[in-house]
Amino acid sequence: MSSSHDRMSEGAEASAAAPDRFEEDVLALMPALRRYSRSLVRSDPDGEDLLQDCVEKVLARRAQWRGVNLRAWAFTIMTNLSRNRHRHTALHPEVELDDTLGLQAETQASDPLERSRLERALNGLSAENRSVLMLVVIEGYRYQDVAEMLAIPIGTVMSRLSRARHQLAEAMKDDNVISMRRPK
Amino acid sequence: MTDEWNTVSENDLHGYVDGFLNEADKARVEQWLERNPARAEDIRQWQAQAGELRAMFSTYARSDERDRALLSPKTNPDEATASASRWNAGLARRIAAGLLLFVAGALSGLYAPHILAPGRSDRVAEVAESLPRQAQSAFLIYASEVRHAVEVGPDQQTHLANWLGKRLDHPLNIPDLSKLGFSLVGGRLLPVNGKAGALFMYEDASGQRLTVLLGRNPDNRETSFRIDNSGGVETFYWIDGPIGYAVTGEVPRALLQKVADECYRQFEGAGEAKS
Repeated sequence: MSSSHDRMSEGAEASAAAPDRFEEDVLALMPALRRYSRSLVRSDPDGEDLLQDCVEKVLARRAQWRGVNLRAWAFTIMTNLSRNRHRHTALHPEVELDDTLGLQAETQASDPLERSRLERALNGLSAENRSVLMLVVIEGYRYQDVAEMLAIPIGTVMSRLSRARHQLAEAMKDDNVISMRRPK
Repeated sequence: MTDEWNTVSENDLHGYVDGFLNEADKARVEQWLERNPARAEDIRQWQAQAGELRAMFSTYARSDERDRALLSPKTNPDEATASASRWNAGLARRIAAGLLLFVAGALSGLYAPHILAPGRSDRVAEVAESLPRQAQSAFLIYASEVRHAVEVGPDQQTHLANWLGKRLDHPLNIPDLSKLGFSLVGGRLLPVNGKAGALFMYEDASGQRLTVLLGRNPDNRETSFRIDNSGGVETFYWIDGPIGYAVTGEVPRALLQKVADECYRQFEGAGEAKS
């Protein structure tokens, strides 16, 4: 939890001046938090649960917020919550198949089968590797940002990212017995 | 990163996929990949993964009507119920997914500037700044929709203009862009700055689309044309009294400007004629 970006200092001042600003700022982050939470878990309900937990924690820990980069701070809290949650689900893993199909129909822009394979592959990643991958690929954070957010060395960020990518590619390859091309 | 032209590290490869390399490093990696087809295949897979992952979760980046309640349990329950039932009554059901999705773009567009960029305390400025962001989200989301790009098609143009004009509380006519080669695909209602806004979509003969977004503007002022580019998506926007306008597309800037000029002219005519 060591995000120390100066670019957020303005937001901090605004927040000090207007107490409701904090809630408004969190509210504005909800879409990003919702996406990130869903990207860390296996099903929509899990995503909403994690989101709620995260919001509660953000509000509860409000006094601990250093006033810089609320988004990164909330993402850090979310990441930690998901790791705890993952430890729990690792003990109760039998919910996988049905729930993985819970991705919204709207998201199925590409081949739905490929997508469900990718989601299964994702669910094979460790929480640590998965969160780094999502922070970089989906949320667009730079490696250094991720290192600061998760309070880990940048080398660890790179190795987690690398493992996540190789593992996904490998899982997709192993599973690649179904050809999606129709004979012409 | 290494200085040697011939050496590429694993980190360079990630940086390449994630777009963090400068031009020189990018070129170096690309040359190296030409000589290392196995790693080039890895890169191709990582890139495909990244694209797929983004697509997979992008629709979750949305607001939900319960978000506020989640944040402030002390919210007046009557208010919450009223707004919830309004939602349930009409809007949400019809355009649920697309709309919620758009709120995400709208909200993050509205607030992102003051969260991520320093020195913007002026709320009005934020709303103006957020207009291109919201317009770009709407464009990216709806212009790529094949079946449900719009709620009301071009066959019901009068209805579309009346309906959206009413929701926007501002008389409007739908710009005719045919002389620029664009025909109306239709329109939809969507939130802009937290209020009802309107989106019109056009496409040319090749299927190239562009969108025209209208939203209420909290203060009554005017701006000149401004331009905003985000990832190849160009937006011309301006505020004219109570309404902010944004014309968005992945078309050459000169063409988009012509479209914006044309829209400006035609919208202005509508306001004067009917108000």
